[in-house]
Amino acid sequence: MLASKRLAVLQCLDWSAVVAAKSSNSPCAVVHGQRVISRTPAAMQYGVQVGMRRRHAQALCPDIEIVAHEPNRDRSAFDTVIRTVNELVPLIEVSEPGLIVFAVRGPSRYMGGDEPMALKIIDALKTSIVANSLVGVGVADSRLAANIAAHASAVASNRSGLFAPYLVEPDKTSDWLAPQSVRVLSEFANINRETISLLERLGLNTLHDVCALGESVLAGRFGELGVELHRLSRGDEQHQLVVVAPPPEHLCVEKFDEPVCDQQVVVNSVQRMASAFTEYFSIHGTVCVRIIIAFESEDGKRSERLWYRPQGLTASAIVESAKWQLEAWLVATGLARVQLIADEVRADTARQLKLWGGTTQTDETATQAIGRLSELLGSSAVQIAKWQGGRDLLDSYELVSATHVQTIDSANSDKQSTVAKWRGALPTPSPSVVYNEPVQVQINDQHGKLLSVSARHELSASPVVVIIGTTSYKVISWAGPWPVEERWWDTARGRRLVRLQLVCEKITVEDTPQISAMLAILEHSEWTVAAIYG
Amino acid sequence: MQLLAPERLVVADDVCKLLPDSGLVRGRIIRCSGDAGLSLALSLCSRATQQGSWLGVVGVAHLGVLAAVEHGVSLERMVLVQPPNTSREWSVTVSAVIDGFDLLVVAVPARLSANDARRVQTRLQSRRAVMIIVDNMALSRSTSRFSAEREPDPFVADVILDTKTKSWSGIDNGSGYLQHRDVSIRVSGRRVARQREHLVTRRF
Repeated sequence: MLASKRLAVLQCLDWSAVVAAKSSNSPCAVVHGQRVISRTPAAMQYGVQVGMRRRHAQALCPDIEIVAHEPNRDRSAFDTVIRTVNELVPLIEVSEPGLIVFAVRGPSRYMGGDEPMALKIIDALKTSIVANSLVGVGVADSRLAANIAAHASAVASNRSGLFAPYLVEPDKTSDWLAPQSVRVLSEFANINRETISLLERLGLNTLHDVCALGESVLAGRFGELGVELHRLSRGDEQHQLVVVAPPPEHLCVEKFDEPVCDQQVVVNSVQRMASAFTEYFSIHGTVCVRIIIAFESEDGKRSERLWYRPQGLTASAIVESAKWQLEAWLVATGLARVQLIADEVRADTARQLKLWGGTTQTDETATQAIGRLSELLGSSAVQIAKWQGGRDLLDSYELVSATHVQTIDSANSDKQSTVAKWRGALPTPSPSVVYNEPVQVQINDQHGKLLSVSARHELSASPVVVIIGTTSYKVISWAGPWPVEERWWDTARGRRLVRLQLVCEKITVEDTPQISAMLAILEHSEWTVAAIYG
Repeated sequence: MQLLAPERLVVADDVCKLLPDSGLVRGRIIRCSGDAGLSLALSLCSRATQQGSWLGVVGVAHLGVLAAVEHGVSLERMVLVQPPNTSREWSVTVSAVIDGFDLLVVAVPARLSANDARRVQTRLQSRRAVMIIVDNMALSRSTSRFSAEREPDPFVADVILDTKTKSWSGIDNGSGYLQHRDVSIRVSGRRVARQREHLVTRRF
């Protein structure tokens, strides 16, 4: 397969923040897991940085608009950009919203060089792009270098007001990369920060230093990661972009006898093809890392897109990509043809079943089962818990859809054991039954009066009886009240409540008493049971 | 793979003596009922999830995740599934969970037909998974869960662990906080030769 070494990266800086912002000049930050992951240029002027804690960002810029991370919003907004670029460059690869990669060999030759090509793309984009997103184009021999170049181009064109692509000379990529700081690896190449910090402490400040150590030394110290580090810093590409036709066995076509208008039917057939595809590759011990999905409509219109996952595309990932592509493609007539082309296939090393740790057979079957369940029930009904932090029982863990299980597996799972408890959280042990919607109850003192709490958090009397529905319980012992005041500065989201632990005995005619412990909450002068120590 | 898999899943030492085979034998159903049922179920699961088994929690919408963590359940292998409530669809969902997971904690819906229950049980035995049934602790204004006597679900449990809290300690009128409790656990079921009763002091 003939591969083109040279590639271009088109980068829209801080895409998710720009999309989420209310107006083009307002400061806005997208927050995920209490950390800023993206912010608008307006927020940047206040000093808000990526990776900052949310509270810190709010301290720097009180007017900042905080928005939750929502990948779907970014994706759908990015479709206009994809469509525009696609009109000029037929085969593009979308790694994530805000980032497009394509081989420059064809387009540059057609448009008369790298620079005219970049200018032409930017010209076309100016009409479609969301206002105020900084766009940069970088051309180099590796993804990392092109990414850095694109970032530099975006920043420079913002400063001068005039767009200029950043071109790294052919075959000079490794020289160009050498003086860059190792931090670019975490910014542009998904190497985690701890590794970068370790490299810096080792005195390796530039990519040249890393490169000079030699691959075998790095591999000896860091294992696979070391090889990756060396590859990145010398400017080599792991999976080159391909510009010629694939061999026939990497091709899967389905023609519909009658044009299909129902999207679900198309998705189903993609699913069938995708599972056949991945099965074929797994039999051969390989995995597909890049795929081209092409749809053809009845009247000959085509939608073709390239999808890339360095860890390998699973069948569900292919279907997900196809869905994204279909939703974005506005076509009036029915579809006549679906085509899957495995563009890049490599030996399956990353998903090798390991004897000690790593992915095991059970993990594999469980992941498959999760996929099947999500299909059956919808992805919102299959969830896993992720630590998020908070005082409330419901806040401390967030339930996320389990289809992201692969990304979570790769995240450090032992982190959660080291997470400290929040101040003001309930003492352990925690209740095993927690209600999403607390149940209203009555808590009375010995005179049958409803219990109240003074402004100084003192109970009006000892609790004696708890009435849930029609049943009453005798209070044996209790602890509290523990006040919780959250966000007192914010009138809309502030909370004031008091917690009480109660051990109750059911008043029954039988001689065996039934003892249960519960957590009662007084908020807005109403008692509720939030949890039971079941 | 089937042959290599151990016949039973390991459980933590403190709950080991409750079970007749000192472990969760694959293909069996265990019922944890009573007021400490859910936390007992979680502590039964903890060791197995730490050693790589996946846990599917089906239909237990009110599970306190924090409690699961404190019991030692490893969260990256715990999946919460919200099944539909009709009998047939529920059994299809549970069968799908059984296909992929070693361990299940399920709350059985009110109207499950005996046929569907048998189908699930057969699947469980052929896939060598372990199912732990817990009470549905849904609490509503009209029917308090402490009072409502539900009709028994159609599953025939191999081991029944009926829990009953005797007392809580660490809490006094207005001071302290809930720390330990004494639970009496009655062990019965068709795989248990003689009914026994244990009195256990637990942190949960």
